[in-house]
Amino acid sequence: MPHSEKKNNLTIKYLLGLGAVLFLGYHSVYFKKLDEVRSAANKKFDAAAYAQKFFTSTLTPQLANASGIQELIQLLTISKDEAFEKYAYATAVGSIKYFLVKGTGIITAINEDEISLQMGNQSLTLATEFIYGNAIRDVTGLFDITSFTNTADINNVSAELNKIVKNKVIPPFRAKAKVGDKVAFTGVMELNSARLNLDNIEVIPISIQ
Amino acid sequence: MQTTLDSQKKLLSKLQPLIALFVLCLVIGLLSDKFFTVSNFWNVLRQISVNICISTGMTLVVLMAGIDLSVGSVLALSGAVTAGLYKSGIEFPTQNLFVGFTLLGGILAGIVVGGLLGFFNGMAITRFKVPPFVATLAMLTVARGLTMLWTQGFPISGLGKDFAFFGTGWFLGVPVPVWISALVVGLAILLSNKTKIGRYIYAIGGNENAARLSGININRVKVIVYTLAGMLAAVGGLMVTSRLDSAQPNAGTGYELDSIAAVVIGGTSLSGGKGSIGGTVLGAIIIGVLNNGLVLLNVSPFWQQVVKGLVILIAVVIDKANTKNH
Repeated sequence: MPHSEKKNNLTIKYLLGLGAVLFLGYHSVYFKKLDEVRSAANKKFDAAAYAQKFFTSTLTPQLANASGIQELIQLLTISKDEAFEKYAYATAVGSIKYFLVKGTGIITAINEDEISLQMGNQSLTLATEFIYGNAIRDVTGLFDITSFTNTADINNVSAELNKIVKNKVIPPFRAKAKVGDKVAFTGVMELNSARLNLDNIEVIPISIQ
Repeated sequence: MQTTLDSQKKLLSKLQPLIALFVLCLVIGLLSDKFFTVSNFWNVLRQISVNICISTGMTLVVLMAGIDLSVGSVLALSGAVTAGLYKSGIEFPTQNLFVGFTLLGGILAGIVVGGLLGFFNGMAITRFKVPPFVATLAMLTVARGLTMLWTQGFPISGLGKDFAFFGTGWFLGVPVPVWISALVVGLAILLSNKTKIGRYIYAIGGNENAARLSGININRVKVIVYTLAGMLAAVGGLMVTSRLDSAQPNAGTGYELDSIAAVVIGGTSLSGGKGSIGGTVLGAIIIGVLNNGLVLLNVSPFWQQVVKGLVILIAVVIDKANTKNH
């Protein structure tokens, strides 16, 4: 191959390479004014507002449909699968499921992180300090996960719902609660279908009177 | 007569990984009714896609009698860079400028980062004569540290449906990661079997001095191969990040061992010069099936590690025995 032809081929190669780099570069980055991007970001999903609306408009009306906790526990001991099939919800795949339950009991102890209740032969605790996880969000089965575009927003809804319970539902109750008081509650009971343990039942309260 | 026996021995040696896979599938299939199901089949293929990508690069490295311990950390950093740039771009407050990255831009940036880290591995090994084990071990720590710095120790999540396609999507009835790993394997087979650099890789692994004396630019080939290994780890990082919809700072921990295991089980000699990409794919499938089987059989994760370690040990012992016989 003559020298000039070799040189031409090399030039064509470099030009093609440069073209590819420019093409990829053009389709890879974009430029905007930073203040515009920041103001748009501030208008993004408001998890606190969403959670408040969900709590008031979706969750609270469902509290009337909560299962009686004593009847449910009885059903769980007789027919675990039926109880989980009929009354449990969860958004995630796995054996952890949530039950919307209600009941009335007598306060037997007020501890730093929880309040113990006695309901006939059944004892349970109401969580008042560590309100974590997705129990409140998922317990009704009405939280539409498909309407979200990212998992961070989904998790933030849980965090905000937990905050509502921890900051608005529990403090007024704890302030007045005394041992021997009669308490009517509605809340979420979390159970593991693979390792069912009905000895230490804990309920995250959503409504307490 | 002796020649026939020798050729039969060679054939048997080549078929060892395939026989091992067959026996493994049979045993797990007998012990678990969930193993031979369509969903589990795709599940296993989806899971091993990442290891196949990493192991393909590792094979090229091991064929040159090298090793790359940094692939897991490179995977994590590349995934984090891709996720970070795609999600948040880069801000230049003094210029009031925001540089955003499209999906393509984020992916390319991650692959470039992987390639750069591989390039540094290659340079450390060839220019500064650092043994591959030490150079890549150092990179393992450096890349993990950089990942922690980039992510501040927190996952980068919420990357959206388009990004999730690479890890969780389907195309023509086959999971997208399987397509990606098939493409990677196809290109690597072409590279190793049909190109000059492929022949150089085998030559360097077979006898580095002879390769040097025959005019092969050994340093150049090594740098290219380590760069490729870094880029393939980055592709693995893209799949992991996409599948989890988040870049985890500790992603890829221990992946280097899985990829070395796949390479060794697939019949590639750790002393270089002998092996194939196809064998590595088989090795990765064996590791994947073994992982899947141990989970299906409810074996404790602690025992799973013990079993995997023993399998690697057995594969190396067999490799040594074969090398001795030949």
